[in-house]
Parts: sequence; C-alpha cells; structure tokens
Amino acid sequence: MSLLRYTLRRFAQAIPVLIGIVTITFFLANQIPGDPVDIMLGPTPAQEQVEAIRARYGLDRPIHVRYFAYLSSVATGDLGLSIYYDRPVLEMIILRLPVTLLLMLSAFAFAIITAIPLGVISAKRRNEPADHVSRIISLIGVSTPSFWIGLVLIIVFAFYLGWFPARGLVLPWADPTNVRGAATQFQVIRQSMHHLFLPMIGLGTLQMAQITRIERSSMVDSLQGEYVKLARAYGVPESTIVRKHAFQVAQLPVITIIGLGLSTALGGAVLTETVFGIQGMGRLIITAINNQDYQLIMGTTLVFGFVYVVGVIITDITYSYLDPRVTYGDE
Amino acid sequence: MSVNSATSDDDTPDDGDESGGPEEVEARVGLRYTLKQVRQDTTARIGTYIVGFMTFVAVFAAFDYYVLDYAIAEAVLYNPETDPENVRRLLPPVGMENQFGQGVMAHPLGTDHRGRDLLSRTIYGTRIAMTVGFLATAIGLGGGTVIGAVSGYYGGWIDDVLQRVTETIYAIPFLVLVIAFMTAFGRNLTFAMIGVGITAVPVFNRLIRSRVVSIREEDYVEAARAAGVKDRNIIFRHIIPNSFAPVLVQATLQVGVSILIVAGLSFLGFGAQPPTPSWGQMLSASRGYMLPAPTFSIFPGIAILITVIGFNILGDGLQDALDPRINN
Amino acid sequence: MSEPLLSVRDLKTQFFTEDGTVRAVDGISFDVHEGEIVGLVGESGAGKSVATSSILRLVDSPGEIVGGEIEFKGETIFGLEEGDDGELRPRDEMLTEEEMRKRIRGREIAIIFQDPMESLNPVFTVGGQLREFIEINRDLGAEEAKEEAIDMLREVGIPAPESRYDEYPHQFSGGMRQRVLIAMALACQPDLIIADEPTTALDVTVEGEILEMVTELQDKYDTSFIWVTHDMSVVAEICDRVNVMYLGEIIEQAEVDDLFHDTKHPYTSALLDSMPRPDRTVDELRPIQGVMPEAIDPPAGCRFHSRCPEAREVCREVHPEPRELSDEGEAPHTAACVKHDAFGVGYDESPPIETEATGGFSAGFTETGGEAE
Repeated sequence: MSLLRYTLRRFAQAIPVLIGIVTITFFLANQIPGDPVDIMLGPTPAQEQVEAIRARYGLDRPIHVRYFAYLSSVATGDLGLSIYYDRPVLEMIILRLPVTLLLMLSAFAFAIITAIPLGVISAKRRNEPADHVSRIISLIGVSTPSFWIGLVLIIVFAFYLGWFPARGLVLPWADPTNVRGAATQFQVIRQSMHHLFLPMIGLGTLQMAQITRIERSSMVDSLQGEYVKLARAYGVPESTIVRKHAFQVAQLPVITIIGLGLSTALGGAVLTETVFGIQGMGRLIITAINNQDYQLIMGTTLVFGFVYVVGVIITDITYSYLDPRVTYGDE
Repeated sequence: MSVNSATSDDDTPDDGDESGGPEEVEARVGLRYTLKQVRQDTTARIGTYIVGFMTFVAVFAAFDYYVLDYAIAEAVLYNPETDPENVRRLLPPVGMENQFGQGVMAHPLGTDHRGRDLLSRTIYGTRIAMTVGFLATAIGLGGGTVIGAVSGYYGGWIDDVLQRVTETIYAIPFLVLVIAFMTAFGRNLTFAMIGVGITAVPVFNRLIRSRVVSIREEDYVEAARAAGVKDRNIIFRHIIPNSFAPVLVQATLQVGVSILIVAGLSFLGFGAQPPTPSWGQMLSASRGYMLPAPTFSIFPGIAILITVIGFNILGDGLQDALDPRINN
Repeated sequence: MSEPLLSVRDLKTQFFTEDGTVRAVDGISFDVHEGEIVGLVGESGAGKSVATSSILRLVDSPGEIVGGEIEFKGETIFGLEEGDDGELRPRDEMLTEEEMRKRIRGREIAIIFQDPMESLNPVFTVGGQLREFIEINRDLGAEEAKEEAIDMLREVGIPAPESRYDEYPHQFSGGMRQRVLIAMALACQPDLIIADEPTTALDVTVEGEILEMVTELQDKYDTSFIWVTHDMSVVAEICDRVNVMYLGEIIEQAEVDDLFHDTKHPYTSALLDSMPRPDRTVDELRPIQGVMPEAIDPPAGCRFHSRCPEAREVCREVHPEPRELSDEGEAPHTAACVKHDAFGVGYDESPPIETEATGGFSAGFTETGGEAE
C-alpha cells in the first residue's frame, strides 16, 4: 500500500479518538460550576437579558441535544463562539495556534539537534567521562520542571546578562511595520529568533533529556548488534558503523519517544507561555478557564488533542518510512 | 495510537518471557529480592537515600502541621503571623545582600514577598509534593492495573472499548486534561491529585496489559485455568504478582512525573491554594520579584529538582537491579 | 607440506570480568592450509567463537588477546615480544588496527555468523549490504559491485536475484539469509572464510542444502574454511581436518577419518557417542555426563577429568599438553590425554577416580552436547 493511503487510513483510525476527545471535553466543560452568563452580566442581571444570551449561545437546550449539536458543528469545522472574546473560537485558535506550533517546533528542533549527538557519543564512549557528563545532563533534564528552567533562564540571560528579552514573542512572519525596531522582514525574523531562544530551551530541555536517554540506550543495543559485528568483520570503518549501520536502526525507538513526548511538550507549552508571557494556545486555554468560557475551553482542548494526534500520525509515518519491516498493514 | 503499542516492547523495563520459564520469573519477584538487589546497586542506593530523606522531611512537616500546628516551625524560624512588627520581605539568603537588606541567620534561605521564611516554606512544600506524588501514582497504578488486567485478560470487545478510552485520555496533553478536569470539579489539591492520577492510568494500563497478554499464554496460567481456578483469581494471584518488577520501576518514575505535573499546576494556580506552601505556587509568587530577589525563584526549584532526581535515580537503579539483561 | 595459510600458536584470549579472569581461549595452536576445511568442534562455551574472533582481532571488551601468535600469509596478525623494560608489547611487524581493517577483515579473511536472522541489518536492503562489503573489499565501483552482488546471489542459489537484491532481510527466510551471508563472504574473494556455526540456527533439510552448496563452491573457488560447529555429523560431512576444543584448549587434532576411526581423546569419544546416528537407537546414545566447568576457574590437571569416564588419580594432577601420537608415515594426530603411553606419567598405575561420568554424580545431570552456543 502506498504511503498516501497509509496516511489517510491513519487519519481515519484517529477519528474515534477525536470524537472521544470532543466527548470528554464537552462533558468536562459542562461540569463547570457557575454560568458564563453570570460572569458576563455581573451579579444582578435582568431576566430577559440572561435568557437572550443563553439562547444566543445555545445554553437553553438540554445537554444531550447540545452534545450532538456540538459534535456536528465540530465536524463542519465550527467550534462555536467565544463568550469572553466575542469572536468565533476558531478565529482565536487560528490566531494563537501558529505561535504555539512555532514554539513547539523550535523546542523539538533544539531537543533533537542536541540530543542525538549527545546520546550517540554517550553510547559510543560508554562509561567514559563523556558518557557520565551526558547522563548527568539528561538526568537533570528529565527531573527539572520546564517552567523553573524558564525562570532561571530569564534571571540569568535576560536580567543579569541582558542577552535575550525576558518576555513576549515576535512572529517571524509579522509585518515589519508592526514590529518595533524592525524595518525589513529579515530584522523581524532576527528579533523573532532572539525572542524564541529562551522559551525554546525552557520547553526543549525535557525533550532533549528524554531523547538523549533513549538515543543512548538504543545506540548501545544497536552497537552490540550482530550486524555491527558483521560490518566490523568486513572492514567497515568504525565511523561508518556508528553513523550508518548502528545509527539508523537505533533511531526507531527515538522516533517513538519523540511522538510520546508531544503530550508532555504541549502541556509544557502552557507553562512556558505563562513564564515568558507568550500569547499562544496555552495562554488562550488559561484565559478561557479563568473566564469560564465554555466554547473556548472545549475548542482549545480539542485542538490540543488534535495537534497531538496529528503529531503521533506524523511520527508513525516517519517510523514506517524508516523501518522497512513495517508493512502498511494490509497483508 | 500505534506509537503506544510500538513502544511497549522497547520501554517495558523487563521482559519476563525472554528470561526463561515461570520459575525464573517467580524468583525475581517479591520484596525481599528487590531489597537485596537495590542494596547491591549504587545508583538505586543513592536514589533510596534521596527519596528516604525527602520522605522524612515530608513526614516531619506533616507531623508539625497536623499534630503541633506549626509549633516546631515557629519555634525555630519566626513567621510574620507571629511577629508582624518584624516582617522583612524578600531577604536574601544568609551571607548575601540585596536591596531589601542583608541575609540573616534566622532565615537561612531568605524570606518571601510576605516576609515568610523560605526554608520552612520549602520544607513544608515537601509534604504537599510527596503526598500528591505518591497518591496520584497510587490512583494511576490502581486504575491502570485494573483496566490493563481486565482488558488484557478478556480481550475482545472489552479490550477494544477500554483501550479506546485510555487512548483518548492519553491523546489530550496531561496538563491540559488536568486543568480541564479541575475546572470542572474543583480547583484544589484533591482534584489535582485525582486528575494527575487519571493521566497516569494509560501508562500503567499499557504496562499491565502487555504483560497480561504475554503471561496469559504461559503454561502455568493455562494449567491454573484448566484446573478450574477462577479468572479473577488467576489475574490477581498469578499475573499481577508476576508484573511486580516493571510496575515498581514505572511507579517510582511516575511519582517523579506526578510531582513535576503538580508543581506545574500549582504554578498556574491550579494546585494547592495559598497560604498552604507548595513549591509550584512559591515559584509562581516569585515571578514578580525575579529581578530584585532572584534567590526566591531558585530554592523551590532546587527542591523539586532534587526530589524528582531522587525518584528518577531510584527508578533507573531498580530497573538495572531487577532487569536480568542489564544494559548499562 | 607447504607453508600454512594461517598459523595460530599458543593463542590465549582472556576476559577480565568482575568475577575474575575468564580464560576463554587458553593456549591453542592450529594451522589452516590452502584449500582446506578445518573443523573447530566443541560444546557451547568451549571458546570456539572467541578463538575465531581473535583471528580477526575482534574480541569484544572486556576480552583481550593476551598471548600467542597469529600469522596469516606471512603477516603477523598478532604477536608479542618482550620490550627493554621486560614488559610484553606488540611486535613491530604486527599489523595495526587500520591495516587489519583495510587489508585483512573481509578482504583476506571473511566470516559467516551463526545467526542469519540477526546478522543482516534490518533497515538496509540485502543487496545494498552485499554491495557495500564488495565495494570496500574489492575496490569496485558501485555499478560493478552491484553486478557482482547479483551474480553472487545467483551463485548461492537465490532465485530471481535481480529483484531480490532490493528486498529487505525480513523478506528472506532463515536459509535464504544464510545464503546471503555466504554470498557476502565469497563475494569478497578472501583466502579464508571463518564459518561460525553457520547452520546451527537452520533446520536440518536447509542445513543439508547449505553444506552441499558450500562444498561445491569451495571446490570452485578453492577457498579455505575454518568451520566452527558443535555437531560431529557436520564435521564428518564437510571437514578435512578437525580440532576438538574443550574449555579453551584443543585436546585433539587429526584428519577427519582418523578422528572418527582412531579416536585418541575420551572427550572426542564422548562427543562421538552422543551423536545420533542411523545405526544406533536412542537407547544407545550416550550423552556426555555433567556440565562443562567454568572457564573462570578451570579444574586442575586435565580439564576434562571431572567428566571423564576414564579418569584416574593422575588426571587430577597432571595437565597434559597435546602430543603427537601418530606413527611415522601417518598423517599427524595429536591429543592431550595422559592415558597414552607417550605421556609416561604413570596413568596405568594410577587408581581410577569417581567422576560425573563414572556414575558418581551422574544422576540429575542432563545432556549438554547439542546446545547452541
């Protein structure tokens, strides 16, 4: 089966999970005590006003009707209206999602680029000083809360050294006229990278540590493989063995871990956005919750789940691409 | 998600079926065996010391809180509540100086934005972290074990339904799920704990289920079934005890993970509510004072780091100690 | 006889573990001549595989070659000398690691491993792996190497080699994979191929086919082989000369017919007796009693005495070195057993002792003869 059909089938398989996410978020959101209308209209609203608002947001119908109505509107891409922002939820998400995705992508890029060499060196020089250093770094990395790393980075690199800004984010595709101190798109991108640097490390450290650990153990296994012994016995240079023969097999578990790390990283994005004052999906969901904005809570949670599911499908496809033993499932 | 199933082979810390027959598996379970192995493994021992120390601090703090009503804390380290005249906000640790003054012996780590002693608050934060870490893991372990065992043992539609549900739970990023959960049910520590516990259910479910599926086919389980032993008894008497080692490793690591998540929740304002001291909430409060009093942000973080490192080292050490195919 | 292709003298390889030094190979000597298939036989743990990896200088840590000499076509693969300070150091003419890799491994001495399922890299195509080794060891360009690879696959009996060239190892059966590994070895055109239990993991019919194929190809290419196995029937089928190993030592060395018909060492006899044969019923099979002791602390005296049915008091005390026992004019035949008069240590007068094989401890021990290493 072709890769394309495999991809489509994986998306189709994800549909029940997505429906499940909608269901969970819908019922959780409906458990929320208090009424968003109260928050909007203050403590003593007029009765007609309340009813009008409730009707406008569809809150006057019974819960199961609302559930199926919500489900079908989600299926058509309509996530409802945000009470707090008074705008369609989808619009808010389209505004905020790229910010979070940018943060996530840069964090994973940082994690992968540092972790893979670190893990490979660690495995190759097992129980030597380089290995100990790399293992200690990764142990600290998996044991440190990402938001605290963010705080420490701000104190050291923003306040004391003044190398990077402590707050906010400039989007690389922003219009230069809207960005202070930037005249060209290139300058916008530079500012963007400048802003992105600390949050990227704050969010990426945990992933880096996790990938380093799995990369190391996976390379250790792979370097002991019979096929590595065979390559050695046929005069293949050691550097080729590490870079090619052992490496490629060892990346399979690494891809799996990256997929699983997405969930932690999406949660971490909420914290990192809070620490660095970045207006992304994480801040959006916190705002939604603090204002009991049902539709927005449901919409953001759903999108978080959706991003995770898409991420997992991407890692699955990468895996099947790299591992010839994975048939596309129809044999 | 197929990523889940793909890892089950790689990160299951122990593969009972690889190491031979059931006799061997049986020989590697049990508390006494575990303790013996841990004593021989240096990393596991260091982990035990850290976890033991933190548990001791937590128990001390709990005793002082519940039984003595902070008597010890107040006798040793004065607090603004008892000495409002003497409140000194945002003091640095002893031996250091900042714009608010010089560090004093009475507050070895300095004071917070309300003039409360940081050392004692950090110590009292241990109680929250350890309690939540252990209880959330216990909830996840209990739920995951039951779901995984039932699912793996019966298979069929029960398996399908249960796995779909846990898969869905797993698909929502933990922090987001717990926040949504707490918003729905209550913004306090109890629900934080339950919420974090629920996010751990899929982890244990996956572990137990894969063990059950592989052990279900073993001869001695077949034999027990043929002899008319009830299914429930087979699960609880044979299958679960045989999964002891990997579950112990996973549970140890999960305590660390839970502590991290709860700290994150408290940081966002979803955990312990003030004035109860918790590390995450201390860090959250410190955010406003990072420039004038950076040390305020440092110590609670170090406390989290050391505690979680303790559980991680212990977990890694246990894995090495209990895994016959050591790959170190 | 001409100069041997490979000559191993007093080779010692040890593993330095936490529990002590494992003397995996403890002073073995043997030769391989051009065009010969030399067997290396023994139970699991006898040190056969360590011996073969020592020849390629590919002993994994914590193992190390600690003594002896390995000469191949006049070049020194391994050799020590005493330095001015009295310490042993590698001789100047010993090949460097770089030379071993570039000139010996693959190019001159190729190896076929035991487990065809694990020996091929799962993420590369079979053809690609074969081609890579050919490119490295025969200085061919990619295109020529590919042609050569396809020819070689055909040679080892893989049907439709052009299309199978692009397939992955998991698409091949065990027997087919072993053929690929044999193709790899032959394609590099080495003078010596070490076959480390290449048929152990295969079922018997496939084993037969492969042995037949190897015999044919060996005739065709005139390559020498070291054939490692625990299976005496394979030895009988394929080998010209045989070395029998026990606990790191070679205890008997002879041409294959002599070994079978004029067995000089009780261990060899025991191995032969434990071999199923069409002219014997199961009841007549006599598995070797007891288990091989650990190489970390080998028994004093003759290492086999604890399991030997003919052990006497003297066997506990005297450690026999292999001696030439053949009469003049006959093919050489050495063995290391003091029951032969040539040793002259008073075996005949020595009282028999009770061992696992004489009934003393035999109850409860199971056969160990037929296990894979």
